[in-house]
Amino acid sequence: MTAAAMDSRPRVPFYRRPVAARILMPIAVIVVWYLVYWTLGSRIFEPPHRVFEFMWNELTLETRLRNGKGPSNLYQMFGLTVVRLFAGFAIAMVVGTVIGLAMGLSKSVNAFFHDWVMAVLAMPALVWALFLGLVFGPQGNQAPIYACILAGIPFVIINVREGVRNTPKELFDMARAFGVPQNKITRNVLLPSLMPFLFAAVRYAFSVGWKGLVIAEVFASDSGMGWAIKFWYDAHQTRGVIGYALFFVAFALALEKLLFEPLAEKAFKWRPRVGDVGVVEEQFLLDQTVEGALEVEQFTGGESDG
Amino acid sequence: MRRAHARRTATTIREVSDIVVTTDERPEGRQRSAEEERLLAQRRRDTRNKWLWRIAGYVVVLLIWEYGFQAIMELIAGRSLNDALLPGPIRILQTIPDIWEDGEMLSNFGATLTRIGIGFGVSFIAGALIGLFTQNKWLDSFFRDLVVVSLTSPGLVWALTGLIIWGFKPLGWIFAIFMTTFALVSVNISEGVRALPKDLLDMAKAFGVSSIDRQRHIVIPHLAPYIFTAVRFGFSIAWKVTVLTEVFSSNKGIGFQMRVTSQVFQLDEFFTWVLSFFVFALFLEKVVLQRAEDRYFRWRQEVAT
Repeated sequence: MTAAAMDSRPRVPFYRRPVAARILMPIAVIVVWYLVYWTLGSRIFEPPHRVFEFMWNELTLETRLRNGKGPSNLYQMFGLTVVRLFAGFAIAMVVGTVIGLAMGLSKSVNAFFHDWVMAVLAMPALVWALFLGLVFGPQGNQAPIYACILAGIPFVIINVREGVRNTPKELFDMARAFGVPQNKITRNVLLPSLMPFLFAAVRYAFSVGWKGLVIAEVFASDSGMGWAIKFWYDAHQTRGVIGYALFFVAFALALEKLLFEPLAEKAFKWRPRVGDVGVVEEQFLLDQTVEGALEVEQFTGGESDG
Repeated sequence: MRRAHARRTATTIREVSDIVVTTDERPEGRQRSAEEERLLAQRRRDTRNKWLWRIAGYVVVLLIWEYGFQAIMELIAGRSLNDALLPGPIRILQTIPDIWEDGEMLSNFGATLTRIGIGFGVSFIAGALIGLFTQNKWLDSFFRDLVVVSLTSPGLVWALTGLIIWGFKPLGWIFAIFMTTFALVSVNISEGVRALPKDLLDMAKAFGVSSIDRQRHIVIPHLAPYIFTAVRFGFSIAWKVTVLTEVFSSNKGIGFQMRVTSQVFQLDEFFTWVLSFFVFALFLEKVVLQRAEDRYFRWRQEVAT
């Protein structure tokens, strides 16, 4: 019994507390994994301890991939993927913000681009990966970076557009009436009201760009994390596939927990609740309909709870 | 005036929503005011403007795709490209009848739809159950990390993992579809259950409404929007993952055709497959599901207006 359990709250057995359930989940996964391994009797499927051993060897640089003169260990490949991710993300942010601002400010520009942005939004990343792989070839960074941009940019565009549409017009008028200089208006009126939308754009461009990038590396690259998982898959090495899959999951979780959640807290300190903002959350939201608004509400509510 | 008054006193929901629709209309015999005229003209101009720009968007993009695509891609790639790699929209349209005549279109669409149906059906039921379970605090924290993992990790990871565990057996791709879609379903269902109108249920119980009637008239109408949302969200993810699993573990279906055509550099056929299924999936998502939803909610006025 820890000290925390001894305090004045009514005694609840440890196993009935939510914390216990959270700890139980990974244990249950491992148990199910062993059960599947024993019942399946597959020659290539491997039990958890071997996969963990593999992951440990990767982390401590025991094993190396034979990739000619290219990057050959986990850290190099991971670094390569992260560099591509940031490059694609930065380009998507800049270009997407420009288009999004134009679409938010002008109805004509919006009508011009709207359907095509939605088409890019709904297109599976696999399509970009296969196509760009053929056009640019597997060498170099071009195909993965463009795939990352194409996957992420619609989120930036739509969120920035919604942000511009949601800026309070009265504040602008008032600022002008009181003769506030333009740069001050931009900094104190436009940016704060755009902030939650830009933040949503960053978050979704990142996580969707990451998914698109990985697929592009599998089909259209000869290096990076995606390529590594493909390498182990082609070698029929379960430990490699599942091990790298777990690295992916760990990276995505780390990004969410260590980068976006603290960032969100910092960016919205002055707001009562992030959930109040009607940002465009996921790729399913194709239009701003009545139900569209409802969906956003449901989805954000669910996610912030979950 | 009297008619409107009589209607206003009407009690059924259908007639209430009638008023909402009809009060927007101009009473007969009254002239429009100048202000109304101006607004109407403005609105008409806006609509026309919007459609003009929209059509301009289509024309410009399609023209660039047809005539400037190769030059642009060569500029970006920094080398000359075979024009078979960059089919224009006209070429893609021309390949549709070829594929249709081979009779491949229907069988491949059918294969993919079967996969989506089975995979998404399983994940929806399981996801809904998990959503119900998470009303319990303990089970909620039990599933929390699994849901977060499912929402954040790429579908590709699950496609390959399922494949290496179960091979080409259906369980492999069902696992992949499940791992990517169940979280969306369970999150939405759990939100819906959490927001159930407890006071209405208590009242119904107090007045002795039978359990079946309570489910039918309170619980299901309340949950319906959440279920529709879950289906639409889930479907839009499920079809992409399904196509991805077909690339690796199928000898039929859209994903398989995408792999084969891209491997033999037949990009015109590749785009025909991609775009035809893309349009079809959007049609299901935006038209069929949306229609079903609208029909179901016809009685609700906020949707009708």
